Amino acid sequence: MAKPENMGNGIEITRRTALGGMLGASGAAMLGSLPFGTSAASAADNPVVKVYGITSAQMNDWAHIKEAIGITIEWTPTNDDTGVFIRDVISNNVGETHDILIFNGGTQTVLAPQGLLAEIDTANPNLTKWADASKDWTESALVMADGKTFGVPIDGNADSFGYFPEAIGVDPSGSEEVSWGVMFEDERLRGRVGVDRNWSQSLCCAALFLNHAGRQNIADVANPTGEEAKAVVDYLIERKKAGQFRTIFSSFEEQIQLLSNKQVDALNCWEPAVRESNKALNANSVVYAYTVEGYFKWGHAAHVPAQAVDRGNIENIYKVLNYFIDGEYRAYQAIDRGYAGPNMDLGVEYAKAKGWEADKVQSIQNTADKVARKFAKPFVNLPAPPNADAIEEEWQRFLNA
Amino acid sequence: MGTAQDETRRPASRLADYWPSGLAVPAFMISWSILVLLPIVIIVAFSFLQMKSYRVVYEPTLATWTNIIVSERWFTVVRTLRIALTITAIELLLAFPFALWMAKRCRSKSLKAMIVTLLTIPFFLDMSSRIIVWRSILDVNGGINSLLLNLGLIDAPIQWLLYSEFAVHFGMIGSYFPAMVFPIFTSLVLIDDEYIHASGDLGGNPLQTLRYIILPLAMPGIVAGIIFTLVPLMAAFVEPRMLGGGFVNLLGDSINSALQELKYPTAAALSTIVIVALGVLMVVLVKLIGRREGNTSLFQVVQR
Repeated sequence: MAKPENMGNGIEITRRTALGGMLGASGAAMLGSLPFGTSAASAADNPVVKVYGITSAQMNDWAHIKEAIGITIEWTPTNDDTGVFIRDVISNNVGETHDILIFNGGTQTVLAPQGLLAEIDTANPNLTKWADASKDWTESALVMADGKTFGVPIDGNADSFGYFPEAIGVDPSGSEEVSWGVMFEDERLRGRVGVDRNWSQSLCCAALFLNHAGRQNIADVANPTGEEAKAVVDYLIERKKAGQFRTIFSSFEEQIQLLSNKQVDALNCWEPAVRESNKALNANSVVYAYTVEGYFKWGHAAHVPAQAVDRGNIENIYKVLNYFIDGEYRAYQAIDRGYAGPNMDLGVEYAKAKGWEADKVQSIQNTADKVARKFAKPFVNLPAPPNADAIEEEWQRFLNA
Repeated sequence: MGTAQDETRRPASRLADYWPSGLAVPAFMISWSILVLLPIVIIVAFSFLQMKSYRVVYEPTLATWTNIIVSERWFTVVRTLRIALTITAIELLLAFPFALWMAKRCRSKSLKAMIVTLLTIPFFLDMSSRIIVWRSILDVNGGINSLLLNLGLIDAPIQWLLYSEFAVHFGMIGSYFPAMVFPIFTSLVLIDDEYIHASGDLGGNPLQTLRYIILPLAMPGIVAGIIFTLVPLMAAFVEPRMLGGGFVNLLGDSINSALQELKYPTAAALSTIVIVALGVLMVVLVKLIGRREGNTSLFQVVQR
C-alpha cells in the first residue's frame, strides 16, 4: 500500500486527493469555456459554506443566517457516532468537499495531530465575537489540542438524568439537587431505571458518582484508565445483576418512549427527551435533574478542515464561525433545543432587540442560568479520550453481564 | 436439414464455442476466489492487527484476540450460537408440519395463495418497524399485561415479557419463520404424490412414509431452510436491541459497537468467529445428514 506523500504543510496528498485534483482541474477547464465572469459573479453574489455536521447543531431554519450575513449554508448531516465522524474525516476526506466540520468537541485531539484540521485564527477580523466569549468555552477541552485552538465552541449542555419527582419524593419544581445515586442504587427505583448504551454517557457518570461518594479515586472521569474503567464496570455489573436497571437504551426515540409511557422512573437521557415527554404527559411531569456530583458536559465544536484553508472561501467560513457565537444563533438554539453556548448574553440582547415575547426572552435567560449553574460542577466529556479503546473493552463486560 | 432436437441444441453448442469446458471451471474458481474468498481472507488477516487512537497499526499481533477474551466479548459468541440454534430448531419444528400441510394437505388454491401472501408480507416492512410494535404489546403497561390484569389472572405486570431473552426469542420466531417455511414447502411440493401413495400401497404407515419417503426427498429444502434461518440469526441485532433492552447482547451488537469505535480488527475477529462457527455447523449438519440419509440425499432434487 503506497504511503501518502506529505507535502510539508500538514496536508497529505493521497491518490484520492490527486484524482480529485485532476478532476477539479478538468472541471476548471470546462468552467473556463463558460461565458467569462459567470461563475465568479455567481459565487460572489451567493456565497455558500458547506458544513458537514452533527444534526442537533442545525438551526431549524437556515434562512436566518442567509438573511443575517448573506451566506447560504449547505448542510450534510451526521449522527453522534464518533467513529463515523473520524472515519469520514480521515478516510473519506470529507474536508475535500466541506468548509466546516461540526461534531462533539474533543475529536480534535485525534484529528489535529494528523494535520487534518486547521488551527483557528482567533484574530481573524471576521471572528469579531471571539473575544467576548468566556474562556470556559474558548479554551476548553472541547476545542483545544496541544495548547492550540482547533475549533469554535458553538453550543452545549450539561446532561444528567430525567426523573419523576414523586418516585423519589423530591420537590417537583426540579430545582433541588439530586444525587446520581438515585439512578444507580436507590431501592425505590429498583427495576425502574434506564441506562444509556453509550459508555461515555453512562460509565463516566457512574465514575463521577463513585468519585464523589469516595468509593473510587479516578483522576479524570472523562478519560479513566483501563483499570479505573474496570472498577466502574464492576460496580455497574453488580447493580445490573441486582436488578436496578430496567433497560439499556440506544436511541433518542427510546428515551422519549420510556419516559412518556412511564416504563421507567429515571434514565440518563438528553434534555430534549424530557421536553418531548412532557408534551405527551402533563407539563413538568418529568424533571431534568440538577445533580449533586456533576454532569456529562458536552459541546459542539466547529472545525475548519485543513483542505479548506486555500480554497478561497476562508472569509465566508470565518463569518459563519462568528455567527455561531453571536446572538441570533444563541437565541434560536436556546429556544429550539435548550442548548447554551458562548455569549449567552448576546442571545438575550438579540431577542430583546428583535422584540421577541417576554417569555421567550426569559427562556433564553433561564437556559443561560441553568447551564451556568450546571457548568459550575465538575466534568467535561471527551468523545474520543485517549483511553477510549480500553474503556470500550470494559464496557462490553457490562453489556455482556 | 436439421431436426427440432438440433435446433434446441444449437444455442448450447454456440455457448460452448465461447466457453471451452477446459476454461469454465478455472474461470469460475478464480471469480469465486476474488469475489468471496479474498474478502474473507482479508477479514481474517485484519483480525491480527490492532487499532490505536482510531488508526490501524499494521503490525501482526494477537492483542485483538486476547482482548476478545478479556473483555468477555466471546460471551456474545456463545450466547448468539445458543440462541441461533434454539430458534433454528424451533422454526424447523414449527415450519416442517406447516409446510407439509400446505404442500400435501391444503387443497384450496386460494387458501394456499393467501397463506403464501401472508408469509411474504413481513418482507414488505422494515424489520425495525415490525419489531417495535411488539414493545407496546409486551411492556408492563402493554396489551398482554393489561389483558391478564383485567382478567384477574395476575396481580402485577409480568416484567419478563419485554427486555428479556424470552422477548428476543419471541420476536425472532416471527421474523425467521418464512425463511424456514419457504424452502421446505418448495421441496415438499416437488415430491411426486405417487411416491407417497406407493408407500401406502406397499404397507408403509404414515410415520414410515414420512421417515423413508418424505424426509429424504425434502432434505435439500430442510438444509436450505436451516441455512437461510441460521446464518442471518448469527448477525441478528434488531430483536436483541429492541426487545432485549440491552440485556441480550449478541454478536451483531458487539460488532456494531466495535465499528462505532473504528475497531476494525475487533469486528474482523468477531466476523472470523462467525465464519468458523458457521463452517463447523455446516460440516456437522452435512455429516449428520450424510450418515443418516446418505450424502446423495442433499442433491435429490438435482438428480431427479
